Amino acid sequence: MVGVALLYVATLLVAPLVGITYYGLKAGLGTIGDTFQQTDVRHAFYLTFVIMAITVVVNTVFGVVVALVLTRDRFPGKRLMSALVDLPLAVSPVIVGLMAILLFGRGGWFEAFFAAQGIQIIFALPSMVLVTIFISIPFVIREVVPVLEELGTEEEQAAWTLGASRLQTFFRVTLPNIRWGLLYGIALSAARAIGEVGAVLIVSGALQGQTETATLYILRAFDQYQDAQGYVVALTLALFSIVLLIGIETLKHRSSREAR
Amino acid sequence: MAQATIDSGRRWPRGRARRTPGAALGRWSLRGVALLYLGLFILLPVAAILQAGFSDGLTNLRDALDSFGAKGAIELTLIMAAITAVVNGVFGTLLAYVLVRIPFPGRSLVSTIVDVPFAVPTLVAGVMLVALYGPNSVVGGWFDDHGIHVIFARPGILLALLFVTLPLVVRSVQPVLLELDLAEEEAASVLGAGGWTTFRRVVFPALRPAIAAGALLAFARSLGEFGAIVFVSGNIPNETLTAPVLITQLLNPSSFGSSGGPDQAAAVAAVLFGISAVVVLVTEHFVSRRSTERSFA
Amino acid sequence: MNRLQVSPKGVKSSLKAGALVASVAVLSVAAAACGGSSAAAASGGGSGPCKPASSPILTLAAYSNPYDAYGKLTSTFASDWKDKHNGQSLIWQMSFGGSTTQAQNIVNGFPADVYASSTATDVEAVQKAGLITHDWTSDQDGSIVATSLVGFMVRPGNPKGIHNWNDLTKPGVKILTPDPAQSGGARWNIVAAYGAAMRGEVPGYKANDPADAERLLEGIFKNVTVLDKSANDSFKNFEAGNGDVAITYENQALAGIAAGSDDQFVIPAATVSIQTPTVVVDKNAAGHCVAPIVDAFVKYLHTPDAQDVFQSVGYQRPIDVKEAAKGSDGYPPVQDLFTTEDLGGWDQLVSDTVFGPDGAFTQAFKAAKG
Repeated sequence: MVGVALLYVATLLVAPLVGITYYGLKAGLGTIGDTFQQTDVRHAFYLTFVIMAITVVVNTVFGVVVALVLTRDRFPGKRLMSALVDLPLAVSPVIVGLMAILLFGRGGWFEAFFAAQGIQIIFALPSMVLVTIFISIPFVIREVVPVLEELGTEEEQAAWTLGASRLQTFFRVTLPNIRWGLLYGIALSAARAIGEVGAVLIVSGALQGQTETATLYILRAFDQYQDAQGYVVALTLALFSIVLLIGIETLKHRSSREAR
Repeated sequence: MAQATIDSGRRWPRGRARRTPGAALGRWSLRGVALLYLGLFILLPVAAILQAGFSDGLTNLRDALDSFGAKGAIELTLIMAAITAVVNGVFGTLLAYVLVRIPFPGRSLVSTIVDVPFAVPTLVAGVMLVALYGPNSVVGGWFDDHGIHVIFARPGILLALLFVTLPLVVRSVQPVLLELDLAEEEAASVLGAGGWTTFRRVVFPALRPAIAAGALLAFARSLGEFGAIVFVSGNIPNETLTAPVLITQLLNPSSFGSSGGPDQAAAVAAVLFGISAVVVLVTEHFVSRRSTERSFA
Repeated sequence: MNRLQVSPKGVKSSLKAGALVASVAVLSVAAAACGGSSAAAASGGGSGPCKPASSPILTLAAYSNPYDAYGKLTSTFASDWKDKHNGQSLIWQMSFGGSTTQAQNIVNGFPADVYASSTATDVEAVQKAGLITHDWTSDQDGSIVATSLVGFMVRPGNPKGIHNWNDLTKPGVKILTPDPAQSGGARWNIVAAYGAAMRGEVPGYKANDPADAERLLEGIFKNVTVLDKSANDSFKNFEAGNGDVAITYENQALAGIAAGSDDQFVIPAATVSIQTPTVVVDKNAAGHCVAPIVDAFVKYLHTPDAQDVFQSVGYQRPIDVKEAAKGSDGYPPVQDLFTTEDLGGWDQLVSDTVFGPDGAFTQAFKAAKG
């Protein structure tokens, strides 16, 4: 049984990962160095990082709020809210891009308003951030909710009866207790954000050196006979996410072995 | 986990203490923020799609479906998603069971590898699948010689979908397995049940909701996959064209004689989205992922 | 489930919490918007009297093919401009993709000042949306900046013996061509096949017979295995080893060969001259206060220096069709090089004869793939 499982994983998951690593390193250290010197590559990484940072901050802050409301509050329609949270996991990135065009493109719902302020939303950074936020909404929430549920409110109630304010309770009691779930959710959210391609492709216009993320750069690199560079960037993105995930996972195991 | 209440012995008078304007305000401000966030980021875009797609009633949808290959694309997408859900439902559960119950060298490594599809951009996955299993590769070439087409044919689509959705199933089943009390399984084997019987009679019933949840999520995810598929499928209408790629095509007018345009794309998107939404709602309603209800069912 | 419990002190702190959350929200949205508005400010955008920025930003949307050419052209133009205009620096932003996708993006709000298209139809789509207001067909060379032609990229030695359009219909031949819904290049390919058949240059297919032209297209598309989203993608796919023949542009084939490919380019007896127009997008250029600059750029594209750049990336054939058919060094002569005008013009081809609801391609594709 172990054999079958391992074989499945090997063909499906390991092989492509090995492939990216192989092709990425095959270019040699010289090309790898050169790739990172290119201005458009650096800008692409920078842009990806900026989008990821904003996305993660927004989804963490609001995600925790939603998680708190989902686990601690009670009101009609809560089930619906819970389902709403899972929705972005099921929506095609293409549809997300289309949504942004319908809202902010020419003739879109908010186009006139933003155009009057001189702010370009679609085919510029803001829409790229917005679609990335959309697709990574579920991750923090889904990781934090089970932890909050397991935790119960004993400690928080104890803090309240001892006179702590809600804010104090949150930062001193709740937050430390959910930190591993939260961090893992943040890591997943970050990984998803840097890997997004479908929605961003539609709304960015792919302006080189301007609205081209790392993933969009990869697309263009393969288009323009720069396969080696494409693989290098792809490998970098994959490695970053994997290291992030492993890091959090390891820290979590270590701490849970100490604490419990 | 039972309802936890602290009984301090104090009895608050009903009414005022719990219903001061301030208390309500506190509760509502948090709720409000949550609702605003979800409303702005999720409900609003959905409304835009529905409005664009159905502003003309069903005309947009009909025109879009008339466009060549549209019906075939939706059909293909549904079938591929279903197969993916079933296959990964089986293998995902198997993998979760192996990871939780069977100690073997490299287990934590495999566990991390399961998360790889979350970390790899979908288009990179597509490129790699073509490179590894395409007609030009060692493996793919062998298949091709024997008349089995993988890449640029339907099996390629399935491969891409299986890659992308495996972690969804595994991570849905794994936590439940972790929580299951080994005592039940041990009792079963003490009473003489073999491994398979134990699995079938003891473990599986407890896992059923989690497996269903994972499989349904895999199904919904497969409906929307774009990045990996657009590379590996070939995009031939009525053969390998999927609904998400169809939507991108519909965005450009004058596709194969139909008028195309964002409204038609929105109509098809709304349908696809509707199916996904229903699946997610069903998963949420009937198949709870909450630890309170799933174990010891 | 447990209720949110609130103590008297809790009211203030929950309001504080709410305020904290709200301010993060506002800051994030502001951060995102600032990214957008600074770009707009730099290009001197917005309504009101035109104040061009000191370092104007010019945006080019081009089809997938000529990234090399436009890379060189924009930088040469920028340095020339700097010399002639007191050191004013121009900042070029470029985007490359499927021609039709680019057109649709511009219609949806992509702020391109110049649109380099691979077909007149795509330019017309932008014009219909009101973004192009001048009569570009009457401009110099009809706005055509480069021409190429459609041919076949085949494996070394041409093992499948592909010489003419009818050879594509042979059983077992795997063809790559881009998706007509997303790529202008795809439609050139189809029009070339259609035109060759209609002009009687394809053995086995009668001249001026739409049914026969449809039969040819059906035969070809029965053999198409992959529809990539752009001409570039299609070509790269072929170079990666997939398929027996790729229907492609001459300049793309030559670029591939220059990059080291062993594949060969075959020109059939009759094929269409691909005429790619580059046009200023008036509304956007005016809004960004860069109209004079991009007008100058488009004029520059028609100068011998710019034409040299196009030729260096494979667009060697002159814009004039008769001259182009003659061929030159490395560019074989073409027996019958026709244009879309010879076939009745793009409008007719798109709305009626080829891509219309009863058009040869529409029907052929349904028959081949239905």
